[in-house]
Formats: sequence, structure tokens, C-alpha cells
Amino acid sequence: MFRLQGSKVLAVDMTGDAVKAKNGSMVAYDGQMTFKKLSGGGEGIRGMVTRRITGEQMTVMEVKGHGTCWFADRAAEINLVGLQGDKLYVESSNLLVTDAGLRTGTTFTGLRGASQGNGLFTTTVEGHGQAAILSDGPAVVLRVSPQYPLTVDPGAYIAHQGGGLRQSFQSGVTFRTFLGEGGGEAFQIRFEGEGLVYVQPSERETIAGDV
Amino acid sequence: MGFREINSKMVEAALQPGQRLYSQRGAMLAYRGEVSFTPNLQGGQGGFLSMVGRRVAGEATPLMTVEGRGTVLFGHGGHHVQVIELTGDTLYVEADRLLAFEGTLEQGTMFMGSQGGVMGMVRGQVTGQGLFTTTLRGRGAVAVMAHGGVFEVPITPQRPVHVDPQAYVAHHGDVRNRLSAALGWREMVGRGSGEAFQLELSGSGAVYVQASEEKL
Repeated sequence: MFRLQGSKVLAVDMTGDAVKAKNGSMVAYDGQMTFKKLSGGGEGIRGMVTRRITGEQMTVMEVKGHGTCWFADRAAEINLVGLQGDKLYVESSNLLVTDAGLRTGTTFTGLRGASQGNGLFTTTVEGHGQAAILSDGPAVVLRVSPQYPLTVDPGAYIAHQGGGLRQSFQSGVTFRTFLGEGGGEAFQIRFEGEGLVYVQPSERETIAGDV
Repeated sequence: MGFREINSKMVEAALQPGQRLYSQRGAMLAYRGEVSFTPNLQGGQGGFLSMVGRRVAGEATPLMTVEGRGTVLFGHGGHHVQVIELTGDTLYVEADRLLAFEGTLEQGTMFMGSQGGVMGMVRGQVTGQGLFTTTLRGRGAVAVMAHGGVFEVPITPQRPVHVDPQAYVAHHGDVRNRLSAALGWREMVGRGSGEAFQLELSGSGAVYVQASEEKL
């Protein structure tokens, strides 16, 4: 149902079913489609409170109909992720389309989120189905296993998948950093356990990049 | 002649004496052989009247005439380039998206308001494309620029296509287009899906859509 057309366009064939998509990301469609705004952080009062508190303002629309709908966002690369009951953690700005059957929610990330320049909360996607995530340049998927932990630049991190993945925040700040002699890699995220991490070949503007 | 795609952002044209092509001024990247580039004040063919028409229409992107014998590389601003072959039909495209086109094509300007009346004018404003668009008709190749990659969606009488006005690049064929507005109360109270306006293209032909909602 999700089909990549080139690396920057996602085509979704629909037969009366629905997907959730980033607001305004539709570029074309044929057949009959309706677009309805939803809000992130879950539905109902609890979702609304979550959104207010977390500032994770995910503006999502539900696209429903018969035909093909094409999605794209600022010429960013698109990566397909299959979920079989596991959980995907991704920045809401990097989430393009999910199957309507997948649940989306918000989770606390703490210091790691702040170092990414994305705030303290991130979006979770859970269930069975497909999701399409965005990256600046083609992303690589790196496997983390107990023998092989992984350390990632916060600005290049886009998503991770797998409940068995622990993450910790590393700081390499020394007295040299304060003298302006830092290597520009003062903060990192370390992943341990079992899972997948998506990394883009580009670095967002982060506080970490400056120190 | 035609254009050969070197990569997603560059095309090459092979020129023979007697052939001519037009390109956006400054879009030449490199050339081999004896090739001359002359500024084209008229902005294409069509004589004085069409020049006035284009000035008024604001579709006066400076063009240059390219003639001679050799090969020329074109590219501009790191934009993606899509080559479209015309076989007697008409291509509708914004002047600033034109990278280069063969001299065999006949250039003109079309008043967008003439399709769809008042909505046609509104469409120009919504899409940020103004009220006029450039037309190219005949047989030959056109290189068009876009932000991100371009994909082609066929339009058939059974399957009209809706396009986000910001992602629309060009279309060709016997196609009617009109702006459809899905303005409901949700849009008024700021609960819109962000897809309030769409270009509806019906008839037979094809529309080119870019993988981005940013203008060039």
C-alpha cells in the first residue's frame, strides 16, 4: 500500500481505508479523497492535555478515500519503516505518513531531546503497519545489539525502533570546551540493547554543534 | 537535438548549425565547440506584440538564444531538472521554471483567468504564480526546473488529478484546470488540514508534480 516513487515521493494506494499524514504534505491525488485535521498526542481530553504540556504539536490529518495519494515534504528523503507490534520513536517533524491503524503518542526524552534541538518530548508510533519517516539526505539504518552499542550525533539522529533499546546521554564537555577548544562533538546519544537506529547524513542545528 | 540528462540537476544539449535553443540567462554551466549566447530582449519569439504581452504579464524571465556547433551543459541553482518531450501538444509552465527549450517550439503567454473565470484569477494568487503562464507548443524538448524530484501523473477523462498548488510544476495536453476550494468551517476556525486549495486537472494529458511545497 505504501510505495516509494523515487526517493522523495510516497505514493499510497487506498481503497476506502485511511492514513494519517503530516499536515499539508499531500502534493497530488487522483480519485476521491477527503482531508480531515487530527491532533497529535492522542485523541480526547488526555491527548489535548498532553499536547499542551509537551509542546509536541503534531498536526496530523486523516486522509481517506479511493485512489492514489502522493505525499512529499520539502524534497526530503523518505524511508519506509515496517512495524510488527514494536514501537518507533521519531520526532514529529520527521514523521510523514502512518497507517491509520498505528497508534501515535508522546514520550519524554529528557536531556537527549534538548540536545537535539527538538524539545524534551518525542513522538511514538506503535502497532502493526507501515510508517514513512523523513530525513535530510538518504538515511542509514544501524543495528544495535548487546555486543555492539552505538553512539550517535544528536543532530544526525532521526528515529529509533525497538523496545529493547536503552539510550543514554553522553557529554564530552571538558575544560577545553569552555576555552573554545571543543571538537564540536560535545554531546552524543548512546544506544545499548537491541534495536534499530535511523541516522541521516546531515546535522540539524543543535546546541551541541556549537560546543 | 533534445536534451540528455547528465544527472538529476544537469542536462546537455548537442547543437548543430541552423538549430537554435533558448535558455534562461545565466543557466549555461559549460560548453564545448563554437557556441554563441546572445541575450534575447524579446524573451523568445513572437515579435514585439508578444514582448509587450509578456512584460504586462510579468512573464518576462530573461532568456538567451544559444546557437552554433557543439554541446552545452545547463543547470541552475541546484534545482532538479526534468526533460519533457512535446509531440505537437502544448505545455503550460511558469516562465521562471524554464531552464531551456528547443527553438522549434512556439512560445506564448496565456491569461490564466480565461480558464475558470474569477476562480482562475484566484488560482493565480493562491499558487503565487500570477495571472499569466507561459505556453510552449509544437515538437521538441523542454527542460523544466523543480525543487526536489519531479514525478508525472497521467490525466485521463476517467481519472482527474488534484494537485497541491505549491507542488504543481507544469502540465501538458488537452487539460482543463480549475481551483477547487475545500473551505469549510474547519478552515475558518483554524482547524484545517492544510489542504484547503487544490488544482483540479481534467481532460487528457499529464501533470508534473514536485516533491516539495516550496517555490523555486
